[in-house]
Amino acid sequence: MTAALLPPWPVAGPLAIAGLLLAGGRLLPRRGPDVIALLTTLGVAAACILLAIGAADGPIVYWFGGWTPRDGQAIGISFRVDLAGASVASFIAGLFTITLAFAWGYFDEVHAHFHVLMLLFMASMVGFCLTGDVFNMFVWFEVMSVAAFSLTGYELKASPLSGAVNFTVMNTIGSYLFLGGIGLAYALAGSLDMASIGRVLANAPASPIADAAFVLMATGLLVKAAQVPFHFWLPDAHAVAPSPVSVIFSGVMVALGIFGLTRLSFAMFTGVPAVMAVTHTLLLGLGVASVVVGGAMALLQRHLKRMLAFSTVSHTGMLLVGLALGDRAGIAGLLTYLAGHGLVKAALFMVAGILLALCGGVDEIELRGKGRQIWPAGVAMAVGGLLLAGAPIGLMDDGLSSLAEAAKAAGNVWLLPVFAFGAGSTGGAVLRATGRIFAGLGPVAGIEEQSPTEQEQEKADRSFPFMLVCAVVPLLAVLATSHRVDGLAERAAVQLGAVAHKGAPVSSLLAWSGVAFALLLAGTGLWHPALPRPVLKTAKFLVRPLAASLSYVHSGAVCDYVAWLVVGLALFTAAFALV
Amino acid sequence: MTGWLDVLPWAVAAWLLGIGLYGVVTSRNVVHLIGCLSVVQGATYVLLLSVGFRTGGIAPVFYAKPPSTSAVDPVTHAMVLTDVVVGATVTALLLALVLQLHKRRGTLDPEELRPMRPK
Amino acid sequence: MSAATPRGMSPRMRLVLFALAVLAVLPGVVHVAGHMPQFGAHPLPYGDAINAAAPPERHVTNMTSAVNFDYRGFDTLGEEFMLLCAVTGVTVLLRGGRGEGTAGRPGRTGHRPVLPRTDAVVLTARAGAGVLLLFGFYVALHAMTTPGGGFQGGVILASGMLLVFLGDGYAAWRRVVRSEAMDACEGLGATLFALCGFAGVLLGLPFGQNILPLGTIGDLFAGGLMLVENAGVTMAVGGGFLVVFIEFLEETRVVPGADER
Repeated sequence: MTAALLPPWPVAGPLAIAGLLLAGGRLLPRRGPDVIALLTTLGVAAACILLAIGAADGPIVYWFGGWTPRDGQAIGISFRVDLAGASVASFIAGLFTITLAFAWGYFDEVHAHFHVLMLLFMASMVGFCLTGDVFNMFVWFEVMSVAAFSLTGYELKASPLSGAVNFTVMNTIGSYLFLGGIGLAYALAGSLDMASIGRVLANAPASPIADAAFVLMATGLLVKAAQVPFHFWLPDAHAVAPSPVSVIFSGVMVALGIFGLTRLSFAMFTGVPAVMAVTHTLLLGLGVASVVVGGAMALLQRHLKRMLAFSTVSHTGMLLVGLALGDRAGIAGLLTYLAGHGLVKAALFMVAGILLALCGGVDEIELRGKGRQIWPAGVAMAVGGLLLAGAPIGLMDDGLSSLAEAAKAAGNVWLLPVFAFGAGSTGGAVLRATGRIFAGLGPVAGIEEQSPTEQEQEKADRSFPFMLVCAVVPLLAVLATSHRVDGLAERAAVQLGAVAHKGAPVSSLLAWSGVAFALLLAGTGLWHPALPRPVLKTAKFLVRPLAASLSYVHSGAVCDYVAWLVVGLALFTAAFALV
Repeated sequence: MTGWLDVLPWAVAAWLLGIGLYGVVTSRNVVHLIGCLSVVQGATYVLLLSVGFRTGGIAPVFYAKPPSTSAVDPVTHAMVLTDVVVGATVTALLLALVLQLHKRRGTLDPEELRPMRPK
Repeated sequence: MSAATPRGMSPRMRLVLFALAVLAVLPGVVHVAGHMPQFGAHPLPYGDAINAAAPPERHVTNMTSAVNFDYRGFDTLGEEFMLLCAVTGVTVLLRGGRGEGTAGRPGRTGHRPVLPRTDAVVLTARAGAGVLLLFGFYVALHAMTTPGGGFQGGVILASGMLLVFLGDGYAAWRRVVRSEAMDACEGLGATLFALCGFAGVLLGLPFGQNILPLGTIGDLFAGGLMLVENAGVTMAVGGGFLVVFIEFLEETRVVPGADER
């Protein structure tokens, strides 16, 4: 089967199988749904890899229903499979495979319903990456969201349900705004095909409608991508979702918001100068704010999954900075970092799942020393923490180097310490937790003691070696693919349309400063009573008010979050007025 | 410059969005909040249908009239149909979540329904 | 639950923040509204292309159905599965906490008296159910000719079945509407839609190509593959909404001796 006939299969195939699973789930043997789902994800991964190979020289365009454009008017839906989309889709399918293996036998109570939801989740994400039609993108965005809402509240306790409500309300408002943006773009361009809209917008005079369409669509996608000030729902949702589901959320769902924004930006808005100007300024600012806020909040957490959620906010902020920089190195760095961070975060959430299953908790302070028997998981967690901090090996480092190169080329050298702060704080928080849980260090808790937490447990029905292998595989993938993905990411960025700027390679100072900062923070967190008193007092004096105001804002009340969403809209309005 | 009647559809859409978000922000009952989300969705309906409107056009069904009659845009109608399905599904899901939440926390006040508490 | 004071903004502060943000957005909204294309008088190239092409090429008179099931049928596939996803989610959330037994008694709110059904209610409900079911089939069948379609018809069918509950009571409702059957109906309807898309692929054509004979325009059974897709949607939507109704109605029952998780 040639790659030109392949595009509908990775999306419609799992959809059909999910429908059959729902209809006939009762008739299958006990592990039947697990096997079927796993085989489906492997099939989708293979199909997407074939698509990526086929798209190496140029995008594959596939018109559904045979409705090719007439007189330049697109009347059907297209899949525009380019290297970036197909590669991210392959990554998604691979991540789902390892997650379904990790979740083997975990979700037993409601027949095949979990597997139906996971297959729909995967199919919609793949559709989101491959499509060339903006309303089709919205449809897959919605399917993805609904699957995520259903999976979050799976543990039917108060906190997961409440987190799911916050998640649903925020993302639904974001979706409606996205749809409003599509309406405005349609009013202006008379088409729903992204390439056509891009041509019309590039040739039309400057119009506030195009700006407004961008604002609404970007807000919807940034809510999904959990960027400041739309990010408040993420820690609530991730902290309470079952661990296999959190693996997908942080591993790839959040990053797809940035990927979608990248797709829209390059397909539709490259020819609109006002939008490009706002992208380079406001989106850069929001990305930096997310890096800083996410990193700072991660340090303040004691609940491991909530800490990892804030770390996702921070690292996704770096992806947004890559988009805002917008040149070839920036986009290549975005794609590489997306994959690298996704794999490392997946491994860390699986370690959290191991702790939940075998140690009966996920609170750093309560679990102190209880991880000694399962110390190999601690090694995996420490490696993950070092990789988050920017250790100079592996896929994340490749991505970060490209991002730093783009920053230097654009003259924004001040971004490098920001990257180091974000990577260092998130890595440091994870390393501190590792030290406390697996080595029993850090007897006196610091400021993190006041942050929200919850008593949780998960079923312990899979063996420790099996779960450990599932957690180690993504880490090995990150380390093994180092320096091999660069060329692929570059070509994907070129295909999207990113322009190269003269860039000087970045020294490894950035990587080592991130790691050093992480170790410093972890050490301070664990051994702060040993510091001299004046240092301790000054640190407390500086840190306490910041921590208090951050916690004040991250309140858990969804009504606050919606108010901050409108503040975000105001920021966009102001940016367009000033540009 | 357009007359006030020409701006009315967009103003209505913007008003629905604003008042719906106001309802969500000041809500004291989660079921009321879900209703306000429907109001926000109403804004998208008004926007899409107004974008696709043509003065003097019939509905895009040519059963009684010949196909060359001036008709409004069926694509926006199809988009609104999808929007309606989205709204119905999300409302059902939210109500199920709230139902289970009420059983466990005994309240419907969003202030009391925060996910996690400090120790 | 902790007794600590809830952190976060007071309602007044939140409202002030919201109001300030709205004031900042308002000039932008006004600016955009003033520059929107002329209401009712701006070009609609996509719509006109469909209105011109669909009657001769697909022999249907309902343009919205043509868009939904043929020109943009792939969107409808996604929408179909979004519904399936949400219904599965509702099932997982409600049935997961309760189990699948149907042994409960009606729950009571406060001490309101439970009045027995009068004959008028039973008769009206039974007659109404028949009429609504017929009407639902009518709307679903006439997708290609007059306003209507699988989505609309499916919802009317499901709502008509609710009259069985109103008129004949919970036991009759559960006898007639079985959750396994509705699950199967929904899953098969959605899969049917997906398989319609694949039918073209097996013949080497693009996904979703209309390969069945198209019939005459204005005829009830015109449209080719769109009819099969419409049937799939009707099944899926009807079955899906009935599953949601079953789950929510089950929540009104009280199972003796059940623990909450």
